[in-house]
Parts: sequence; structure tokens; C-alpha cells
Amino acid sequence: MCSLAVGTLLRAIGLSLLIATCASGIVSAAQSESSVAERIYAAAPPRLLQIRTLVADAGRQTSNGSGFLVSADGLAITNYHVVSQAALEPDTYRLEYTAADGSQGRVTLLRVDLPNDLALIRVDKKDAPYFRFDQAAIEGRLAKGERLYSMGNPLDLGFTIIEGTYNGLADHSYTERIHFSGALNPGMSGGPAVTADGNVIGINVATRRGGQLISFLVPARFAVDLLQQAGEGEKPADPKSDVGRQLLAWRSGLFKSLGEAGFRSDTLGPYRAPATQALWFNCWASTNASATPKPRASVNSTECSSDTTVFVASDLNIGAITVNHSLVKTVDLNQFQFANYLTQLSQPRLSVGGPFKKWYTPQRCLEDFVSVSTPRQHPPLHVVWCAQAYRRFEGLYDVSLIAVTQDQPLEALVSRLTMQAVGYDDAIALGTRFLEAVQVGQ
Amino acid sequence: MIWVEILSRQREVAARVRIAAPEVRIGRGYDNDVVVDDPYVAAQHLRVFRRDDGSLVAEDSGSANGTYIDGSKTRLSDFVVDGKQPIRIGQTYLRIRDVSHAVERELLAPPERHVLPIVLALVIGLSVLAIDALKIWSNQTTEPRASAYFTPLLTIAATLLVWVGVWALLCRIFAGRSQFLRNLLIALIGIAAVSLYDEFAQYVAFAWTWPAGVSYGYVVVWLVAAAVCFYHLREIGRRRLWLKGAVVTALLVGGIALQTLQLSEALTDSGRQQTVHRLMPPMLRAVPLKDEGAFFGKISNLKADLDGERSLPPPGEPHP
Repeated sequence: MCSLAVGTLLRAIGLSLLIATCASGIVSAAQSESSVAERIYAAAPPRLLQIRTLVADAGRQTSNGSGFLVSADGLAITNYHVVSQAALEPDTYRLEYTAADGSQGRVTLLRVDLPNDLALIRVDKKDAPYFRFDQAAIEGRLAKGERLYSMGNPLDLGFTIIEGTYNGLADHSYTERIHFSGALNPGMSGGPAVTADGNVIGINVATRRGGQLISFLVPARFAVDLLQQAGEGEKPADPKSDVGRQLLAWRSGLFKSLGEAGFRSDTLGPYRAPATQALWFNCWASTNASATPKPRASVNSTECSSDTTVFVASDLNIGAITVNHSLVKTVDLNQFQFANYLTQLSQPRLSVGGPFKKWYTPQRCLEDFVSVSTPRQHPPLHVVWCAQAYRRFEGLYDVSLIAVTQDQPLEALVSRLTMQAVGYDDAIALGTRFLEAVQVGQ
Repeated sequence: MIWVEILSRQREVAARVRIAAPEVRIGRGYDNDVVVDDPYVAAQHLRVFRRDDGSLVAEDSGSANGTYIDGSKTRLSDFVVDGKQPIRIGQTYLRIRDVSHAVERELLAPPERHVLPIVLALVIGLSVLAIDALKIWSNQTTEPRASAYFTPLLTIAATLLVWVGVWALLCRIFAGRSQFLRNLLIALIGIAAVSLYDEFAQYVAFAWTWPAGVSYGYVVVWLVAAAVCFYHLREIGRRRLWLKGAVVTALLVGGIALQTLQLSEALTDSGRQQTVHRLMPPMLRAVPLKDEGAFFGKISNLKADLDGERSLPPPGEPHP
């Protein structure tokens, strides 16, 4: 998924060309509904906002997104990723809004909801009309195919309304996301998606790269929750420390549910390898059988990865969990060459080099030969554990665990468990269960 | 009969004059027996004559700059000539010897080429190339190619020959003999030591899960390089070995310090730990399998290190 805040001008121009060429077909097909869209948009201007992040000293925007008013006294909802720079670096960045009716002013960041990519802000606008949330959507009673209207300011081109279709919740996703078939574009992040009667059912958040009109909305109920929390404890929390706290809480819940889902055994050749039973993983298989030149060892892999990344900052999308198993068999490599081949396949891959210093500590690794209980079922393993800590988020680590079976000289299972933003104890508990599930024989 | 030898700056004989008379006069003037073209030498500078007991005595004839024994700062008016220490007058070095001066025994001519060093050089050279070829072979996990062997092996051979050639040339210039075979043996033994150490460290890192031997392998490489340089320098000449040793030690310490600094900066830049993590065939494992609980126990100890790193400011930022 690709978040929708507008970045550079270059990207904006490239994308705008793409839209211009494909927009005409949609317009003619939706001609009959245009009166609804017209009515909805006509009511929007005073309550539809563009949220801009400005470099405080330069006074110009570095990125922008959308937002919408949800109360008469100026509370508004947008995406966390629209305001992330101001949340993390409040001394460098500040926020401003421009409403669709032309009014402008200051924005105060009140509260963020990192896992759902939402932020609650206050704008200095009193007694303005505001959007109401759709009760049917909050209760999950919306039917697939329902026509939706999404609003925002794509690519800083001006306020826009887009028609699309409600397609229920996206599968294989840990965080709930509404699958919206409509053309969301960068800059529309944080804008509302409403039903024909003008009530909000979700918040524009992301689009799928390489897809056609595949976009995602944050369900409205999370915005309602955020609004309620703010109502209970009115004092604005410090968003910067909130980010770390929410990340930790969200990740520990996520890894708890991963542990509860447990591992089942998949068969790979003579081995049995752990596969997660959690439903929010996407699994794919790959092989090098058809590679050219003809490979000297055959590698058949399965990889399950979770769609649990979360936007923390423009250069930090974290939270993926990957389980990877490769069954490696020699074709004409001898024992030493085969071992070298396994070495290449089993390198730890954590974030190193480049801008890693900003977010991570250097990695620490440990390797050893490990046996797990009864040796009849469990092959001896060569295990590498590499971990690095997040500098800014206490209690979170990236961990890579790689096990290579050592029972056969010319055949091996390379199992890899990569966990981003995990608590250290969670990682050890999951790692232990992971190693125990690597088995050999029937 | 007396021999007067005029020496060069390097104390080698530049001219040799035989005097039949019992007395020799040396100076810049043409009334001398030996004329020295040195503006710092007096017209009549030195007189050498035989005493009654038969020993030769040199006497300064009142020169302005005086007469000295080479290496001494004491001005001498007259002294017994032993024929060994050069004498300095002005900027010229002389040696005065009696016909009865005893010379050293002749050096033995180098025997016919020994077969042993040649065989030794061949054996070590071939085994170095064989170890490298084996290494390349075991790393070849993609399509096998002959050039993968020839390029590195020829590079090693060429580098070795250039290295030995330079040292042989230096030996030739300063010691007169190039000692090519000895220099070749020194360099070959050095390369073989590094090669063997490298393989051994890799083996230990896997079989004994002791990666420090590989991580600090560069120290061994520097030690071997320093030893090789020292022995090459010794071939050039055995004099002032302490000075050569000191130079080589300085080179060694500097090299290790520089590389340590470079590696530690590379670590803070990349964050990649210099672990070995190289697999070998499972049958080479020498340590017993570790119990899962003990392994994860060690892993939980890493947490303290990581948290310690977290509390430090990121590299490049000042401490708070």
C-alpha cells in the first residue's frame, strides 16, 4: 500500500498525467449519478479541509493532505501520516489548514492513532457545519457495491469529489481497512468517504501500487473512538511520546495474537516447517527450477508475510513479519560448495547501512548449534539470531532468526523468521516455538 | 712500505697509493707524497712516519681543521695508526696501512646452487596456489568458469614476483647480492602463513563457533606482513637490526591501529556486525549441540547490550 500524502512536485506531475488519460471512461459511466455527487459536494466546502505541513522557518509546505470537520467547535479528523512530521518534529514543522470555502488558519494536533493512521486535530473554526458518521457503517451493516463518494485535494490541484464502490473489508489484513474501488490519489489522505446521504463511512488512507482503482479507507468507527477518547481526557497528550507508546501497545497485541494463532506444520521434502495459522498473512511459493543458467542447487521456498506495516515517519514503515522456508537440495554441488551456497541463503537481513542510524542501533548477532529436545524428530540446527533496537521506541526491536538444518550434508531446510518492531520477550517466545516446529521425518 | 688509501663517503676505497719511503706527507700542496684535492685540507696536513718500535705514527702538521679518527670528535695531534679506523682530514677519509697489515680470511665462494631452497620454494609456492584454488573451487556455487581460477591465481603470482623483485633490487643495491631465492622464500612463507591461518580461522569459526579468529584476522595479517618486511630488511644487511625492528614495529602498530579505527567506523556507519556466519559441511562441527534453553538464555543477555546502545546518542550526534 502506498500512503497518500503528497511528496515531491515531480511525483505529482507524473501521476497527474496518468489520471488525465484514464479519467474520461469513468465520467461517462457515472453520468446518471452525477446529481448525487453534485449535491454532496455542494454541501462540503466549509467542512472539507486541506491540511498542510509547513517548514516552520521557511513558511512553505513540504507536504499536504486532506481532513474534515467532525464537530461544531473545530475538531477535525485526518491521517496520522499527513501530520507525522509535525507530530515527531514539532520544532521544525507546523500545520495549517485551508478549507474548501477558502478560509485558512492554524491547526493544533491533539491526538494520534498510529495503528489506524488517524489523527485528531483542532482548527480555529467555530460553529461551522461538520460531517456526521454513518451509523450503519459503524455497526458494519453496509452492503458491498454501495456507492461511495470520496473527497479531498489530490496533488494540490483543488478540492475534488470521486465516486467509487464499497467492497467490504480487505482480506489478509491485521488492521481493518475498507476496500474502496475508486481512484484515490496522493493529497487525498485524511479526506472523508461518504455515502449518498453524506455521512462518513471511512477515511481515505492508501492505494495499492500496481493495482487499478484499488484504494483503502480507515473504517469510521476508529475515528469515532478517537473522538470519544479526546472527549474523555480533554488534555492533549504529547503526540511524540504517544507514537512510541501506541506502537508498543499495538505491537504487543499483534504478537500476542500471532502466538495465540500458533504454528502448524507444512511439509517441505523430508522436513516439516512452521507456518503461522494467523489469517492476516499472505503466502506465496517460489522455485528456482526454471532459472537460467541451470541452478546447481534446487531451492523451493514458501514465504508468508504479514500486511502489518504501519507508517511511523516518511522514512520508517515498520511492522512486517515474514516466515520464509527454503528447501535446498544439491544438483551437482559437493558438500563444501553446498555449505557455501547455504551461507548465501542464510544471511541475516536487518536494516543496515544508509539512514539506519537515525532509527536503529547497530545489530547484535549470536550464532550456535542448537538441538531441540528429542533429536529423533528435531534435526540439529545452526541458528543465527540478529537483533537491533529502535532508538526512539523503548522496548521495540527488529529480530531476524535463521535456522539451517544440519542433519544432511547435501540437503537442508533454511528457515527464517523476521519480526519488525517486536518486544524482546515476544521475539524470544516466538523464536523458541518456531525452532521447535522445525522437524524432520514423519 | 706504506699504503695510503683515500676513501669515499661510504668508506670504500677510491684510490690507493703505495709509498716506498719510510715517511709519507699528505696535504693539498704538490710537495706532498699524496695530494688530496679537498679545500678543507691544509697544504701540509699530515705526516706519517715509522717509530723506532716499528709502529706507524700520524702527526698533524699544524692544520687549521685538525685530524680526527672517523666517528670521534677529539682532535688529535699525533697518534698510532692501527690501519682499521679511517682517519678524517678536512672532509676526506683516509686509511693508512702497513705492508704487514693482516687481512681477513677469504670468503668462501657461494657453493653451487642448493637444491633444497629451490624445492622448498616450489613446494610452498604450489601449495599457496593450491589452497587458493581450493578456496575458489569451494566458493563456486554458480556456473563453473575457468577464468574464476586464473585471474586471482595469476594476480597472486604477479604480485608476489613484483614484491620479491623490488626487495631483490634493494638487496642488490645495498648489499651487492640480490638474494632472489631467499627473498622469494621469505615472501612465500608469509603468504602461506596468511593463507593457512585464514582457512584455519574459518574452520574454527564454524566448528567451534568461535568467530573472533576471523574478525581479528587482520591483526594476524599485519603481524605476518611485519615479520616478512623485517626478514627482507635483514637480507639487505645485518647491521642496525634494532633500527629495522623498530621501523617494522611502528609500521605494524600503525597498520593495526588504522585498520581497527576503519573497522569500528564502518560498524557505526553500517550497523552490520562483523560476524562470520559461514557454513561448512555439518560433519566438521566440533562442539556439542547446545540446548535450546541455554541458547535462548544467551540471546536474552543480548538485550542489555541493545538497550545500552539505545541510550547512547546516534553516532555523529553530540552527547546530551
